Amino acid sequence: MDRWWSDGSETGSRLWQGVFAIAALGCALGIAQNALVARGAPKDALAWRYTPPVVPTIEGVQQTNGGAAAAPAAAPAGTTAYTDSPLNIGEASAGAEIPDVNFPMQIQITRVKQMYEAKEATIIDARDPQEYADGHIPGAVNLPHETTVTDLDKLEKFDPKGKPIIVYCGGGTCEASLQLGYALIGAGKHKVLVFMGGWPEWQTSGFPIAKGPTPEGA
Amino acid sequence: MGAVRGFLGHPTVRRGAQLVAGAIFLAAALPKIADLSAFATSVHNFHLEPVVPVALTNILAMTIPWTELVAGLALVAGVRPRAGALVYTGLMTVFTIGVIAAMARGLSFDCGCFGKASASKVGATKLVENLAMLAVGVVGTVERR
Repeated sequence: MDRWWSDGSETGSRLWQGVFAIAALGCALGIAQNALVARGAPKDALAWRYTPPVVPTIEGVQQTNGGAAAAPAAAPAGTTAYTDSPLNIGEASAGAEIPDVNFPMQIQITRVKQMYEAKEATIIDARDPQEYADGHIPGAVNLPHETTVTDLDKLEKFDPKGKPIIVYCGGGTCEASLQLGYALIGAGKHKVLVFMGGWPEWQTSGFPIAKGPTPEGA
Repeated sequence: MGAVRGFLGHPTVRRGAQLVAGAIFLAAALPKIADLSAFATSVHNFHLEPVVPVALTNILAMTIPWTELVAGLALVAGVRPRAGALVYTGLMTVFTIGVIAAMARGLSFDCGCFGKASASKVGATKLVENLAMLAVGVVGTVERR
């Protein structure tokens, strides 16, 4: 018995018709879902055109603010796409003072290494405990994004020992470390920096690493 | 080879593979549809910009889960199952390439493959898992003789 949709007739152009129909229906439903969500609750919908968050650098902030601690209007945690043009932080700006602003700034690996060597920063590893145990920046404290980002109590109790905080995770744009950065500022911490190259960049640079479930010297 | 071809071409084996593939896609699609923004974050983390313009990555996040759902339903219900299996195999190939590309660049993040809850990381385990799921799709695509 051959019905119109039956398996036996799925060859040649009939097969590709089916493939096309599935793909077209899937795409249409996906777009329709987001359109409906956008009508009901615009905040929950995805932007039709995605613009990646641009995290300002220390230098970018100093340029736009003239070095003052004044900051752009506070943004909801983890959702802001800053449009400041990030300036590339190089060796020349190595010693730049870190402004105290209410959003995380990005920091490049050369500066991370300097602050690490001079013990000028408290470093947070935002990855999972397992990944942290497999290897991390020596002395970094593990605050997993997954369990910590909503744990205001734990974030408030975290003691950066009066130093700026550097958050890193698994690389990429690492939205996890950026979100944790916002959460830390929300919990009253100051001078929060995000090292977006994260663990892959640190590791491939051949910098010191440590293994184990707890931070060194703690 | 003849025996292998005979086994893989067997209608019951093919139908079984289609049901497994369909179940996999349904399990993958529903949590993503329920939390599109979480999946969008995963898509961003894959850093597809050398291939796909950044502006389009949210569109991918919207359309992939629903295409998975439709293909999964086709496979499970046996409505145009071979087309469903081809869509499954095609998507799974793209996903596997994405995992390999991410691994090659040393990225480590939650792939969002089965939604946020499963929290499976991009890595060797994920790759083996994907290759196995890809094989199921290929068997499900075998032409009936």
